[in-house]
Amino acid sequence: MIKKFIHQFASPKTYLYQVNRFYPYIFYSSLVIYIISLIWGLFFTPEDFVQGNSYRIIYLHVPASFLSQSLYLAMAVASVTYLVWRVKLAAYLIIAIAPIGAMTTFIALISGSIWGIPTWGTWWQWDARITSTLILFIMYLGLISLHNSFSNFEKADKLTSWLVIIGAVNIPIIKKSVDWWSTLHQSASITLTEKPTIDVLMLYPLIGSIIGFLGLITCLVLTSSKYQILIREKTKSWIRDYV
Amino acid sequence: MNELKLEYLKLKKKTRSWLGPILVFWLIMLAFPLTVEFMQDKLEIGFFSVLWIAILISMMLATEDIFIEDYNDGSLEQTIIKNTSFQFLISIRIIVYWLMIGVPISILSFIFSLGTSEDLLLSISVIPLSIISSYIFLNLFALGSALSLNKGSLLGALITMPLALPVLIVLGKSIIAFQLGINYLEFILLLLGCLSIIIIAVPIIVSFIIKAHLE
Repeated sequence: MIKKFIHQFASPKTYLYQVNRFYPYIFYSSLVIYIISLIWGLFFTPEDFVQGNSYRIIYLHVPASFLSQSLYLAMAVASVTYLVWRVKLAAYLIIAIAPIGAMTTFIALISGSIWGIPTWGTWWQWDARITSTLILFIMYLGLISLHNSFSNFEKADKLTSWLVIIGAVNIPIIKKSVDWWSTLHQSASITLTEKPTIDVLMLYPLIGSIIGFLGLITCLVLTSSKYQILIREKTKSWIRDYV
Repeated sequence: MNELKLEYLKLKKKTRSWLGPILVFWLIMLAFPLTVEFMQDKLEIGFFSVLWIAILISMMLATEDIFIEDYNDGSLEQTIIKNTSFQFLISIRIIVYWLMIGVPISILSFIFSLGTSEDLLLSISVIPLSIISSYIFLNLFALGSALSLNKGSLLGALITMPLALPVLIVLGKSIIAFQLGINYLEFILLLLGCLSIIIIAVPIIVSFIIKAHLE
């Protein structure tokens, strides 16, 4: 039953038409939410009493870090879907997400480095959280290079899916690194189980920036996946009608 | 037992495959003091970092041709057709590689550690760490070798190297823990925990990957 459901709703053709339908709504609403959250966070929230204004980079750093891990998890789910149910769309999504995941991880690393100077007095520290995030970035690059090294798409999809699943072991390590090791990086300010340790005046624009950034990155993933579909399904007759 | 003997004989015949990594390890450990001013305390500071990296590189070299020759001559396809479990054969192959390369390197690690630190207890503490880590690295790089079967071993090593980095962090912390007299056994247990998962998971995943290559 699950197989039938997935195959019915995950055909590249249906996906492409649905993406075109919802894309403008997601893009414009996310853009508005992110811009409002950024303006709110940068200009209308008070200074932090320890870090001053430097903390305001959280409106970029936190959404990027959150998404760098979330995108990998999305890839892992897509990999399992592809290997178990042989859903082609899942394979397209994996390789569509990988470069965007690498980009968000890079943004998280760079923004973290910039934030490190005023708070820790250093650009870089071989700290558990930072090192595991760097490993995630290298994993993304490895996945892309592995996929690109094969001319046979089906083989490349299968092998990349396996590597994604294996690499997913890094995600709980990144998440729990601040608890398992004594690190310079602070522990999570927002969790599902506990009350946020961040003041509400800073929290609301932060949540807004996470939602906005999530929407914008989703749009990038949708565009990238559309590109993958157009390349991989170019011989199909419906693509000619579509184009 | 027959499979173990067969894999042993196959590896024994390929002298370059098992002797090469051991010699590379030896050379790195011999060359390392030449790059440091010859003062005992300076040698000791960097010794363990160099040791773990040398083990990592040796294991990377050891798995360079772990599957490729069999892939090229078609024996991997025949092995899959055989009644014996393919995962089991992969496990056996990794064990043989570890016995012929990982274990000698672990013994050499002890000797080099003793020669550098002149501390018997510290050097003994290196043995379980190098034995477990060499086995973990062999499994990880065998996985990389399987992923990039006909694309060169460098790609495989590069894509699986990030997975080995947490092990390097734990190894570094283990030695500090031993020197401070805290939590050393906990680190050993952590590595053993990782190893127990890897021993089961890697042969299964490698068998699926090789089958994907052969399809």
